[in-house]
Amino acid sequence: MSGSTATKRTGLGPPVLCVLDRAHRGAVEAQFFHALYGLLDLHGQFERVDVALRGPAVTLAVEEDEYRPSVRLGTMELDTLPDYRGSVRDLVAEGFTVFVDREAVTALGFAPERLVAGTVLLDSTELARRWPEYDQVWFV
Amino acid sequence: MAMERRMWDLLLILTAAPHSSDVVTSALRLSQAMLDRGGSVRVWACGYANMMTQDTFGDTKLPNTRDPEGHYPSPSAVVQRMIADGGGRFGWIACTACSEERGAVHHVPQVRHRSPLRLAATIAGARRTLYLGGA
Repeated sequence: MSGSTATKRTGLGPPVLCVLDRAHRGAVEAQFFHALYGLLDLHGQFERVDVALRGPAVTLAVEEDEYRPSVRLGTMELDTLPDYRGSVRDLVAEGFTVFVDREAVTALGFAPERLVAGTVLLDSTELARRWPEYDQVWFV
Repeated sequence: MAMERRMWDLLLILTAAPHSSDVVTSALRLSQAMLDRGGSVRVWACGYANMMTQDTFGDTKLPNTRDPEGHYPSPSAVVQRMIADGGGRFGWIACTACSEERGAVHHVPQVRHRSPLRLAATIAGARRTLYLGGA
């Protein structure tokens, strides 16, 4: 999906860190309407929004080039399933800092160098030390 | 003499809620794989799975602000399409109790309404039953 429509930043809301622990919350029914879309759609209302991917959600930032967000159901080729990698690339392009928890990446067997370019690999303890930089921390 | 009941090849009892995991998608893919092999499948929507077939969705999802011209079929449109394309080999049952409990009683007309008191009879009408949990 295109990430070309940059949201106009009005900056009324406080700086927020959004923590995502759960991944894959619906595909056919969700399509574009997933948690990362919500962040991309709403972040213009806030002074700053950054994202921390932890647990299984770190897989959203693992780069790969085989998966196609498409499924055939009946005579329909539904090619609008969630494209999480694409959304993480959009987050980076739109100025979010995207932190990715190092322990979760290695525990799940992924190589840290395979993450989407521009994301920030961070130890869990280091991530906690960044919390005071935000007015609010949301568990999305 | 008792009327001969139709036997379905596969019954999927789907209790996973949409937008909570990818189990709904797995159920649809599994159904399609069965249909591709010539079999018949019916889905018993239990709990929040009854949200999938509400007629209030219309044919498409809400606009994607990042792709306003894109076409995104609604969950009910996907199910309706599978029923139409299945030519009688794909069915969808809405549980009347779960639907009422959630105020989600406006199903698309292709969906069959069934009381939970008929769950065992529905299982008896299928050669195989898979219970896909996750509620």
